[in-house]
Amino acid sequence: MTEIFSTLFGQNDAQPSTGQAGLGFAAGKPPPPMPSNQAPVAAQIPGQLGDEGPTLRKPGAMNEPFYLLRELPVGNELTGNTNLITHYSLEHAFNKFCGKKVKEKLSNFLPELPGMIDCPGIQDGSSLRSLIEKPPVCGNSFSPLTGALLTGFRLHTGPLPEQYRLMHIQPPKKKSKQKRNPRPLDPLPPETPSDSDPKKKKKKRDDDPDRKKKKKDKKKKKSRHSPDHPGLTGSQPNSNSLR
Amino acid sequence: MAEKFDNLEEHLEKFVENIRQLGIIVSDFQPSSQTGLNQKLNFMITGLQDIEKCRQQLHDINVPLEVFEYIDQGRNPQLYTKECLERALAKNEQIKGKNDTLTKFKSLLVSELGKVFPEEMAKYKAIHGDDPPS
Repeated sequence: MTEIFSTLFGQNDAQPSTGQAGLGFAAGKPPPPMPSNQAPVAAQIPGQLGDEGPTLRKPGAMNEPFYLLRELPVGNELTGNTNLITHYSLEHAFNKFCGKKVKEKLSNFLPELPGMIDCPGIQDGSSLRSLIEKPPVCGNSFSPLTGALLTGFRLHTGPLPEQYRLMHIQPPKKKSKQKRNPRPLDPLPPETPSDSDPKKKKKKRDDDPDRKKKKKDKKKKKSRHSPDHPGLTGSQPNSNSLR
Repeated sequence: MAEKFDNLEEHLEKFVENIRQLGIIVSDFQPSSQTGLNQKLNFMITGLQDIEKCRQQLHDINVPLEVFEYIDQGRNPQLYTKECLERALAKNEQIKGKNDTLTKFKSLLVSELGKVFPEEMAKYKAIHGDDPPS
């Protein structure tokens, strides 16, 4: 291999330059003429080395002083030098997600979803990964339940067994707690004129539809904890169930 | 696009609320609540039918699997988006640094080679031309 290298360099310069001599190439002697059996080997070289990266120049060009000179790769306009966030117009998204602090829990993303959603799904078998790995049987159409089928849903009266009651426990909502706290204080300082504002605010708050929805949710929560459900008749035996 | 998601979100919220009310009825069942239970069960089926109809509009939506890991761990999926953007920016900066360093290296190498091999470098520049800085 080194003989081919030196012979090719020797074809152009019979007398090696001082620079090359300094580096140890073509040390002093006149290079021998290129043997005929070297030509097919030289022709093979581009095939072997042209498999990787840009193509080599044609064998005719190999007579030039440079050996294995490759074509420069085609430049790409979009490189790492460009700010890709700006290029794809993602500044707003970047500021939204990275500028502010994103809350850690899933319940902050889905505040309206009931149940304990912050717990890992693997614990109660409700993980999305299991849904992907073992997809449920699909394809059948959804048809309403007939009277005969509904007979299967006749339940026993009374509260649920203890092992199933934990499913209804919801994590305490911090927002409602923060709003509950000033309420008992409202009636305490009504004497000063500045406190007429919280009363007005309280009235305004009651008029909001969102407020009404939250009140309904609280009523439902209270009804869950109490033995009497709204809309259901009959007196209930006292149950010590934790809901 | 947002309408498709809003529609699905609305159906899902109604479905979840229906299930929640079903759970309340079941938690302390009384015979008089049987009709309500049957109604809720049929609402559940119609809810599933509505969600099934929404599926056709969203067949081209792709969700990365890594988001599911976050949800299964009880973490906010927006953290995934945040971390994607941060990783993209960090990688962008890293690549830019590499490009800048290699450009500087190339210019230094060309200048030094020009001092040591002036004729060869002149021929090289004649072949490749004056390469613009990348």
